[in-house]
Amino acid sequence: MIVAGIDVGSLTAKCVLFEEKVIAYSIAKVTPDLENTAKAVYSDAVKKAGVSAEYIVATGYGRNKVSFANLKVTEITCHAFGAKSIFPSCRTVIDIGGQDSKVIAVENGVKNFVMNDKCAAGTGRFLEVMASALNVDVSKLGELDEKADKPVNISSTCTVFAESEVVSYIAQGEKVENIVAGLHNAIASRIAAMAKRIDLKPDVVLTGGVAKNKGVKRALEEILQIKILVPEEPQIVGAIGAAIVGKNYASRGRKSERF
Amino acid sequence: MRVGYLCTFTPKELIDAAGFTPVRILADSTPISLASAHIQSYACIQARGSLEKALRKIDVDAVVFTRSCDTLMRLADIWEIATKMKVYSFEFPTKIDSTSKNFLISEIAELAKKLEEWGGKITFDSLKESIELYKLLEVELAKIFDEKPDYELLFKVQQMKVKDALNELKSREQKKSKGGPKILVTGSVCPFLDVMKLFEDVGFSVKDDLCTGTRFFTFKYPEMELRSVEDCFRYLAEKYVSKAECPTKHYEKDRRFERVLELAKDCDGVVFLLLKFCDPHFFDYPQLKQKLEEIGKKVLLLELEFPVIEQLRTRIEAFYEVIMC
Ligand SMILES: Nc1ncnc2c1ncn2[C@@H]1O[C@H](COP(=O)(O)OP(=O)(O)OP(=O)(O)O)[C@@H](O)[C@H]1O
Ligand SMILES: [Mg+2]
Repeated sequence: MIVAGIDVGSLTAKCVLFEEKVIAYSIAKVTPDLENTAKAVYSDAVKKAGVSAEYIVATGYGRNKVSFANLKVTEITCHAFGAKSIFPSCRTVIDIGGQDSKVIAVENGVKNFVMNDKCAAGTGRFLEVMASALNVDVSKLGELDEKADKPVNISSTCTVFAESEVVSYIAQGEKVENIVAGLHNAIASRIAAMAKRIDLKPDVVLTGGVAKNKGVKRALEEILQIKILVPEEPQIVGAIGAAIVGKNYASRGRKSERF
Repeated sequence: MRVGYLCTFTPKELIDAAGFTPVRILADSTPISLASAHIQSYACIQARGSLEKALRKIDVDAVVFTRSCDTLMRLADIWEIATKMKVYSFEFPTKIDSTSKNFLISEIAELAKKLEEWGGKITFDSLKESIELYKLLEVELAKIFDEKPDYELLFKVQQMKVKDALNELKSREQKKSKGGPKILVTGSVCPFLDVMKLFEDVGFSVKDDLCTGTRFFTFKYPEMELRSVEDCFRYLAEKYVSKAECPTKHYEKDRRFERVLELAKDCDGVVFLLLKFCDPHFFDYPQLKQKLEEIGKKVLLLELEFPVIEQLRTRIEAFYEVIMC
């Protein structure tokens, strides 16, 4: 059976067409019209795959706005199933998206989870604000991090105040590379504080768009003192998980729209 | 006259018997602006929100502050300075043991005196009647909540005379529980009805240990005949020290933990619904969470300031999936 997983996040929408493995996927920016955003990524993925889905699962913030989905599941469950399908040894998932970061303990499904509170510190949004203050592209943050020799200390956990710190470092003539690495360390320490609230067991898998940033992986490995696995395309892990949950669910012959 | 109170250890019977209307003061979604001049942003939203309401517009003439957490005690001082309302601090004992009852009786007598100073009149007959009516109300509310919690009703009856509250109960239809996995929601106050509704929307059947829930009406009633005002004071003291446990009090043994663990027994999970910066609850949280996990309960922590409903929904739905998985 071909299943579609559609993850409508706070910043991006992802769609995966899945049979035994990923057939095709698509990533798009989220617009305020969530239903149409979901339709657009879905048709794009269908176009790439040349087949459409028999069963559709929606996840992410916008899941309840995807009226054409057969099933709606939270992104916490989906990231857990997605990460485990890619790395069967996975016991912990760290998902860093645009607005939320989560640490998920995985067993057969989700054992436990912690999410950041509503402030943006420790999320992709935080890095986007800082990247624009530094006038660099978010996709370049990883390379800059590699060239740092002495990361600065960012002590504010609040995005707004951290930006003032960045501005102050720029004014002091600090190297951009060192500021970037300092920001990655700041994010990692926020995540580590969350991870302490659940039992962090290896292997740890990093997912979400921010996982594409090698600097964040580096900082997390340093602070958690643990090796971190990153899937080839970390941003679609939630959508893959949605498809897998849907496959299991449909094969058990269940019909309700909720898990 | 309408007499406000924030803490549910306030003997509302006295206020009612004095001829006043006891009114529970709760924060709402009014943005905090005026209150910021008087109270720091790292006080809970119940304290800041209530003060904000008081500074804007609130239909209350006097407030009884009952000793509970530090924030509420300091709020009493702020209220006295910043508003034109009459303010009285009722010293409920912090340590609940054999010596506290006599102390509480004398405090109750003082509060009665104050209410008379404010123009009320407490007689043996009026006090006995208020005591009896509150017991009726509380027993009825307990029955309703046993079947299915109704927070809207509970919020409503805290804004009126007990007689009217009993009439309100008569005219309602009992709602049936939709079933679903059972959770215990524990915490301090949750002044946001839409948050309470989320648990049910997501598919849980709810039981609570909240100050804006069952803790409002959970007492053990002393067996004694009331023949004088003094008897009534003694009765109230006994009733209120037996009230459902609150983390702002120190009990002999671990009465509060025991209650929460007992309530959790037939539940699939426990949600800590805590207001950000609520010291008494957060100090208890790590230990209580551990004890709940030891008896096999899944635990979720939700921190509230002004609620962001969709963020809360995701957390509660994910918790539902954890339990159903
Ligand atoms: N190549 C890249 N390098 C660095 N960061 C990236 C890259 N691509 C995307 N990101 C970051 O990933 C974030 C978006 O991630 P993702 O798509 O997982 O979020 P989301 O699912 O929409 O959000 P949420 O899960 O919080 O609702 C953005 O903040 C973006 O800056
Ligand atoms: Mg996401």
